[in-house]
Amino acid sequence: MIYYILLPLNAVLLVVLQITLSDIFFSGWLTLELSLVAVIYAGFRLDFVKGITLACLMGLTFDCLSGAVPGSFTLFYLLIFLLVFFVSLRITSEKLYLIAFVSLVCSLLESFVLVLLYALVFQHDLTGDVLPVLVLQALLTSVISVGFFYVMSRTEGLRYGKTIQAPQRTWTGGVSPKT
Amino acid sequence: MFLKNYRTVIFVGAIIAAALILLSYNLRYDTGTSVLKRIVMEAAEPVQKMFSASVEAVENAWRRYIHLVGLEEENRKLNKTINALQEELNLYKEGNLEAQRLKKLLSLQDTYPHRFIASRVIGKELSMISKTLWIDKGEKDGLVSGMPVLVSTGLIGRLTDVTWHSSKVLLLVDENSNVDVLIQRTRVQGIARGAGSRGCVLRYVPKIQDVKAGDVVVTSGLSNLFPKGLLVGKVSYVNRVDAGLFSKIYVAPFADLASVEEVMVLAAEKQEPKQRKKKEE
Repeated sequence: MIYYILLPLNAVLLVVLQITLSDIFFSGWLTLELSLVAVIYAGFRLDFVKGITLACLMGLTFDCLSGAVPGSFTLFYLLIFLLVFFVSLRITSEKLYLIAFVSLVCSLLESFVLVLLYALVFQHDLTGDVLPVLVLQALLTSVISVGFFYVMSRTEGLRYGKTIQAPQRTWTGGVSPKT
Repeated sequence: MFLKNYRTVIFVGAIIAAALILLSYNLRYDTGTSVLKRIVMEAAEPVQKMFSASVEAVENAWRRYIHLVGLEEENRKLNKTINALQEELNLYKEGNLEAQRLKKLLSLQDTYPHRFIASRVIGKELSMISKTLWIDKGEKDGLVSGMPVLVSTGLIGRLTDVTWHSSKVLLLVDENSNVDVLIQRTRVQGIARGAGSRGCVLRYVPKIQDVKAGDVVVTSGLSNLFPKGLLVGKVSYVNRVDAGLFSKIYVAPFADLASVEEVMVLAAEKQEPKQRKKKEE
């Protein structure tokens, strides 16, 4: 229960931190996608209901605090969570190079859908200006995700004596037995 | 039985459908600042302020102390004195610079016959998808969505999301920004649309019109949003070679949007004392 109470506060904290850090280190031209990394982490490590709640809240908070079209990041994060959750049934989150690869793909996918949305809805062609930025951003996201997963696995190790990726993701009923 | 077997699929489908409906609704209708957005922004404001203050404190600590590490023992006392004096001097300098900035901002009140509300910038977002500022005044201070926002050098944008105590400013260079403008010299009219790092693009100006680099661009006053004559920027590039009916014109805003610290929100037209008295009667 405490998880659901603290989640909105943590989402606001994370998104504001993300905006502030991007402003300090890159003057805003590159985004440190901490919220996306959190969604990918949720896809790998959390159970279905907790993870989907996190993805929704992160997306909504990011929609509200950034200048994006409301609902866009909620949808992206939901889709990315589902994708990662599906992938996590096949691969283990202990392999950091796989985490880096999945994060890279997710970040590129998010950017691609974003560019597509802007091109289709607003007729803004973002490809010329931001393509190198998107690739850099995706690389940065994959590096951050490796660090994030490493730190979290160490924390879990200290707290529980082992990492806590649910081994029972078998799609029997769709969600892990905990839920 | 069916529901039990496919409950996860139904759950996922319902959530994605809800997100899609939210997105489509916001794309179709301009919903303004929703209650949810207001609450999230209001909740995030103290966090943003706290982060800004922390960053400032770290920067100050870095400036004041790090460079002192490693100095000789006998210089320590002297350095302390110098440091204290520098700190004092920095305070005066900072105060002086702030006063100059505010003086410039206040001079806008003499230039334009409008009521201004001064505000401090508490956050910036200059990413690829949006170029916005976050200011520390909101509905409680009389701000309303759509109000023009200026600095001493001219127009920088307009308010989009206004909450009780803070607001978002959509900058001129944001791709969603469109301002009706005039070339000051030739009175040629066009639409200045945000173009990110390239400043603004002046659209719908036919190739036969006389526009050249260096021309000053001001608001036309044709839309209800911006009063006539606010400085917008300078024409930086004109291309009539490409195919099409219109020239390709870039406008560089006068204001340096990355270093804005204080802004003035143009609230309403100033009332003359006589008019005000008349109204009161």
